[in-house]
Amino acid sequence: MLPIVSITLFLPLLGALLIMALRKTSTQAIHAIGIITSGLTLLGSLWMWSRGVNETGFAQLEELDWMPSIGAAYRVGVDGISLPLVLLTTLLFFLTLIYSAKVKERPQAFVVLMLLLETAAIGTFTALDAILFYVFFEVSLVSMYFMIAGWGHEDRQRAALMFFIYTLLGSLPLLLAILGLYLGSEPHTFDMRVWINNPPLDGLAAMLALIAMLFTFAVKTPVFPFHTWLPAAHVQAPAAGSVILAGVMLKFGTYGLVRFALQMTPDAFRDAGIVILIFGVVAALYGAFAALAQSDIKRLIAYTSVNHMGYVIVGVAIAALALDPAIRATALDGSVLQMVSHGLVTGALFFLVGMLQDRAHTREMDQFGGLLKITPILGWSFVLAAFASLGLPGLAHFPAEFQIFLVTLQVEPAAVIVILGIVITAGLYLRAIGKVFLGEPNEKWLAMSDLNTREVLTLAPLLILIIVVGIAPALVLDMIHKTTAALQF
Amino acid sequence: MADDLALLIPEIIVLLTIVFALVAEMLRLPRIALAVSVTGLLLATGMTLPLLGADTSVFGGTYRIDTLSVWAKLILLPATALSILLARAELGGSDREGTVYVLICLVTLGSLVLASAGDTMLLVLGVLLSGLGSFALVAYPRDDAATEAAMKFFVFGSVTGAIMIFGLSYWFGGSGSTLLSELSLLDTKPVIAAVGLIAVIVGLGYKAALVPFHFWAPDAYEGAPVSIAAYMSVVPKIGAIFAFAQVVRDLPMDTHWPLVIAVVSVLTMTYGYLAALAQNNVVRLLAYSSIAQAGYFLLGIVAVGANPLAFVSIIVFAAAYAAMNLGAFAVLMRVGRTLDAFSGIGRRKVVMGIAMVVFLLSLAGIPPLAGFVGKFLLFGAAMDAGFTWLTVIAILNSVLSLAVYLRIVVPMYQQPDDATAPAQTAAPKPEPLITLVWIVAFVFTLGIGLAAQPILGQIS
Repeated sequence: MLPIVSITLFLPLLGALLIMALRKTSTQAIHAIGIITSGLTLLGSLWMWSRGVNETGFAQLEELDWMPSIGAAYRVGVDGISLPLVLLTTLLFFLTLIYSAKVKERPQAFVVLMLLLETAAIGTFTALDAILFYVFFEVSLVSMYFMIAGWGHEDRQRAALMFFIYTLLGSLPLLLAILGLYLGSEPHTFDMRVWINNPPLDGLAAMLALIAMLFTFAVKTPVFPFHTWLPAAHVQAPAAGSVILAGVMLKFGTYGLVRFALQMTPDAFRDAGIVILIFGVVAALYGAFAALAQSDIKRLIAYTSVNHMGYVIVGVAIAALALDPAIRATALDGSVLQMVSHGLVTGALFFLVGMLQDRAHTREMDQFGGLLKITPILGWSFVLAAFASLGLPGLAHFPAEFQIFLVTLQVEPAAVIVILGIVITAGLYLRAIGKVFLGEPNEKWLAMSDLNTREVLTLAPLLILIIVVGIAPALVLDMIHKTTAALQF
Repeated sequence: MADDLALLIPEIIVLLTIVFALVAEMLRLPRIALAVSVTGLLLATGMTLPLLGADTSVFGGTYRIDTLSVWAKLILLPATALSILLARAELGGSDREGTVYVLICLVTLGSLVLASAGDTMLLVLGVLLSGLGSFALVAYPRDDAATEAAMKFFVFGSVTGAIMIFGLSYWFGGSGSTLLSELSLLDTKPVIAAVGLIAVIVGLGYKAALVPFHFWAPDAYEGAPVSIAAYMSVVPKIGAIFAFAQVVRDLPMDTHWPLVIAVVSVLTMTYGYLAALAQNNVVRLLAYSSIAQAGYFLLGIVAVGANPLAFVSIIVFAAAYAAMNLGAFAVLMRVGRTLDAFSGIGRRKVVMGIAMVVFLLSLAGIPPLAGFVGKFLLFGAAMDAGFTWLTVIAILNSVLSLAVYLRIVVPMYQQPDDATAPAQTAAPKPEPLITLVWIVAFVFTLGIGLAAQPILGQIS
């Protein structure tokens, strides 16, 4: 059997090395290599999809000795929770590289960083060894730091530094938890499957490990009050960086929440379930209210990410609290689907804002008006993505959020107050659409050009998938449900 | 006796190297001295390989040939050879050039004695042997800064050395022996054990630049030639750390020595990085960084006796530290001593820029680089020994360390201000020796990070 997971994982790295090896290459050739590499990676992940996942445990396992003396090995594989995220990752990177073909400033370094980041992201989702996971998790930070610092906007140095130090501070407690789990497992191993099947810690040790992990993933997700790095990083990052940051890297937090916190310290997670639920509800509502207060359209979308990730946390917390396995599975189904939907929708929105900024060099909503008439394709695309983001039925977020709210109502009815978030996001998106795209066209922008082919190619797959997932969520849900239905914790 | 000598072949080769290099220098043949010392060091490294796995001692238990001692040779001898190449690039052609190589080899021999000490008298011998050579090396440029630095270094060394000898006499009185292996006899005499322990912390703490015995280090590094600073931040420091491990492995636990060392570790890490944050001179910044890194080594020391991971972690981190620190200093030699000199260097010298970023991120402990593997094992060893609080503090310090190292990384990729740095645009002349050193260091920094198994497998 072809080791397709490893091939998919290391293809982008190979592409990056190839670009580094080529001296004096034209900008076009560099972008072409980037697009082709990420395209092949996308095909690789589709191949993984066609192989499918197992009823229990992980599928498509690939293992290699690495540091046997301390029980660390190269172990990769997927299940119904990680495979959808891998697909999302490869798709978003492919589209991002197409979109970034316009980058003329040091394209070599840009594409290399992008491909390095892609390997790190796929690695984070497929790693089944805690050290390997941590390595990929951190490499993604380094690449994103250089991405923001090198190609960001006005205040990029400060934002990049803040992002790096904040998220490193965030991820080090995870290292502590990993060491704790390692020392608790007998014989000592870093095999995540062993930790999931036999949680190595209990009692106080498990609770401390859980707190350390929650801190890490709360910073990454991000959850109020650990979210302050997010608006700064998003606003300063280049559009491509924002798409990856929101579409892929925020999922590290929620994926870790499920994979590590929920699966490796299940009893402690259940004990702390109410607290985590409250954090989720607060994050969702805070994100919505904070978004309402923004005039910068990129900050607005950044804050709605806090809101949408809040729903994921609510779903995971409900899964821990629920006693009925069916409800538990539904809650996790909703959470994982929400991660995928958010990647598609927010990815599209950040692309659109990037395209708008390329044209207008501003992101202030008050500066615009009536763009729907001047740039209809851009305008209607934004309207579609915004409607998806506010949870309109028939679009990607609806089936995910619906499932989360349903189980919340069954398990902790009081927490359903979180549904207020939908009302607020609806209001703020309608306001944004009104200000930017409706009304009288602003004189200043009459000459604004509509989307070109490259931009349409970038957006179309996302918009189509937003509709497809909204109408036929079973396409993704079947895969997710296969794993969540069998989870024992 | 003959068997004993066979186990000492690497040390004997180093000694002969010193003799031959000195002869070459006396004949005014510095190039020969260079060739002799580098060849001798590499030969000694090669001759150490058959000793892997040995666990014995020579001369009646006073000199140990064990895991620590063998790995000290495997790490310090090549590191010394690289340092000599750096010294050649910096001091080549100067008067008395060959003496530098001789002194460097001598200090290395002293560091090896420290790392292999099985007897308190050998500790003293090691401290003196590595100390005397270092004073001369720091004073080598014979200018004001170097003289002042060497003077401080010397006065500090004399006082701490005296304190150490004084305290060690208590151990001798208490156990009736100078052998470290007899220290367990002190378990009924906690006061005597404690006095000796403090003396050792003072003496070796000075060598390893632990807080609060570090005051000489930034001045000495700044006053000395950069290549000497690079050398001193690696070889004598690792020798002293290994000596620490040799001492505490026999110390009775009821003196609570792990707690004492843990406190020193916290002080060293925290103070080192806080002070580094305020530096604008990159040599001083790296000096404080190497002080802080010594604090991380102590995480492994506190675990000695509690679990086998301790030695493994100290050795892996020593190898990682030698590679990344020498690499960072080599790039520094190439670029310049001030932070301004680093401005935009990453854009002009792409490969060297990447290498420097790798060294600095490795020093900060970012995976998958060597520093991460070393620190990860140190954290594991300390946690397993029940020092979770110490690990937490070390982890918090790692965040601080990132802020420190990013102070160098950030200007490297800044847009060069056309007005302020016109002098920088001229490409510096190529320095093949320095380039060789950072390339070797780069390979090891990546290699130890990705493939630590050969080291791990050998030790355990």
